[in-house]
Amino acid sequence: MPIGIRPRLNICHMYPDLLNLYGDRGNIMAYRMRCLWREIEVTIHQVNIGDSVDFERMDFIFLGGGSDREQNLMAADLVEKSGALQAAIEDGVPLLAICGGYQLLGKYYKTLAGDVIPGLGLLDLYTEGGETRLIGNVAVEVDLGGVTQRITGFENHSGRTHLGRLDPLGKVLAGHGNNGRDGMEGARYKNVICSYLHGPMLPKNPFITDYLIACAVKRKWSIPLKPLNDSIEMSATNVMLKRLLGN
Amino acid sequence: MRKARLFMALFAAKILVFIIKILGRGKGTALPGRVALKIYPGLISDLSSRIGKGVIVVTGTNGKTTTNNMIARILEAGGCRVLINREGANLITGIATAFAREMDFLNSRAFDYACLEVDEAAFPGVASRVRPRCVVITNFFRDQLDRYGELDRTIALVRNALKEMEGIRLVLNADDPLVAQMGRSTGLQSVFYGVAEHGGVTSQGAAAREAKFCPFCGHELAYRYYQYSQLGAYGCPGCGFSRPDPDVEGTSPRRGGSFTQCRVRFRQGSSVSLEVPVYGMYNLYNALAAYSTALLLDMDPQRAAVFLKGYRPATGRMERFDYRGKQVYLNLVKNPTGFNEGIGALVEMSDGGLDVMIAINDNDADGRDISWLWDVDFEILADCQDRINFVCSGLRAEEMALRLKYAGIQEFRLMVESDFNEAVSRVLNGGAGKACILSTYTALWPVERILSGYANRDQTPAEYLPHVS
Repeated sequence: MPIGIRPRLNICHMYPDLLNLYGDRGNIMAYRMRCLWREIEVTIHQVNIGDSVDFERMDFIFLGGGSDREQNLMAADLVEKSGALQAAIEDGVPLLAICGGYQLLGKYYKTLAGDVIPGLGLLDLYTEGGETRLIGNVAVEVDLGGVTQRITGFENHSGRTHLGRLDPLGKVLAGHGNNGRDGMEGARYKNVICSYLHGPMLPKNPFITDYLIACAVKRKWSIPLKPLNDSIEMSATNVMLKRLLGN
Repeated sequence: MRKARLFMALFAAKILVFIIKILGRGKGTALPGRVALKIYPGLISDLSSRIGKGVIVVTGTNGKTTTNNMIARILEAGGCRVLINREGANLITGIATAFAREMDFLNSRAFDYACLEVDEAAFPGVASRVRPRCVVITNFFRDQLDRYGELDRTIALVRNALKEMEGIRLVLNADDPLVAQMGRSTGLQSVFYGVAEHGGVTSQGAAAREAKFCPFCGHELAYRYYQYSQLGAYGCPGCGFSRPDPDVEGTSPRRGGSFTQCRVRFRQGSSVSLEVPVYGMYNLYNALAAYSTALLLDMDPQRAAVFLKGYRPATGRMERFDYRGKQVYLNLVKNPTGFNEGIGALVEMSDGGLDVMIAINDNDADGRDISWLWDVDFEILADCQDRINFVCSGLRAEEMALRLKYAGIQEFRLMVESDFNEAVSRVLNGGAGKACILSTYTALWPVERILSGYANRDQTPAEYLPHVS
């Protein structure tokens, strides 16, 4: 990188107009602030229905969830972009998908009534509707880039997600996770991270945010990430870990 | 037999109310009602049939307590006897408690009206029992999703319950498409209230607004302007659904520090001037809802306006205290829209420096999921942070501090103090000229108790208060 020019990352916020609930925009805020604190500039590209986007140019893609109606609208639009999105994922573009966005990247969602709603089929996973909603605070042990950490969040989903040949994001220490049965939470593929954790996830768990930023930086330049003071983040996580796990 | 069970239920509830009161355990609003309903499930329908002129139900997301108290205030000032569930105990058990506490065995205390604020999710159950004469709907915003599921479902719940009822009158917010649609979709006779376009409206929608799509055809709604959140002048290009022409419309609102004024225009052409001793646009909406309800109940417009001026805010609705000459405000926050209004008030008050305490709990009644804090626009505070000291408190004090950090507030301005007593004494004794405490529901009562131990509740008549802005 030429001296004197600040590095700049392109953030792609998918459907902010539609998927504006559950505080998930906090993920964008956290990514952006943690870049700015390191003197990395960011440009946020908001992609709404009908907008065109060049995923390959992006350094971070965020896909959240919404209520049923909004999710159907977004799915219809995203199907048309699915080829380009797949190429970007295969190419190693970092992506975070939460809740509905996570489900949509999979093969299908089978409702309680037995209807099968096709997903984008970009990841080897599927979801089935459940009788009850899985709701509550969650603690997960995550192993990322050789570091193991405990993260926290809040889940609220009725879908039960099952992974094919995919690694989970982590192991459930408290809460339900993907399906309430196999003790797994989220999924990973290349530089994609999927999770049911709202809260939102990135502000509370800077270790994941920094992993995603580092992935993006590594693809462009060879600069190390400056460590930040995370004492407020840590104490927020520790309060919840203590409540859920007692230590 | 029925009489005997009603008697027993009333007896048990009254004893429980008494015991809870002498033990000083909380507000005691749910348990007596729960026990009474167990003994006699018909309690609410029996007792509500004793109400002389009818039951008024207020539902919606924000402003239920304020609107309901305002309606009761107008009716009481007009000489009516009113039964009310005052403490915001708005689930079916709390309403049973209110009836059981207020009514006696021999039916010797005659009430003209019952004013009930009712939680949206509890609305179908309550409405089918009390058979309201009139239902007021304030607005629909996202609130405590982990309890009730999606907003769409909550609205459908209320709509379906209303469709079952005949002959009732609705009082609806014309500016909220999610509320205004109730007129057409239920076929019930409706009075619409709203606020006309004024200098403070914007052409940009807020990030966290709820209704983007037409409730009838799903087409994206087009807005001429926004008041706040999804409230504004909307129209559907698809099916023509649009903001109804209000029967009662507030025009040229003027926002003072501790009161809000406007001119009210009636559809027939006449107008009166309205002043309410409360903060903010959202309270103007509450006042217009209450005022429209009073008119629907045949109150004289001039008299109703005079009565409304004498309203005093309930606990935690921008309630004012005085601590050694320092003004201290206490305000309940429970969802992004209400919190954004609270932040607007903070910015207005911050000129001479401000000590701010934010208390966030995540008990059931607060909503266990606190993700919604990230839908609140705390970023606005970053520009005036050099005038504000922050103390974060409550069960999730650290998360509140985290939210402010990512809003761009510098860390050295953020203090975390989980203990309410410590936190309250810090903001009272902080160096700024004023203080404001924003609190979620279950933190409100302990904080209010501590605060009223240190500070005096302000009783000054509103018309003599200085302007804040």
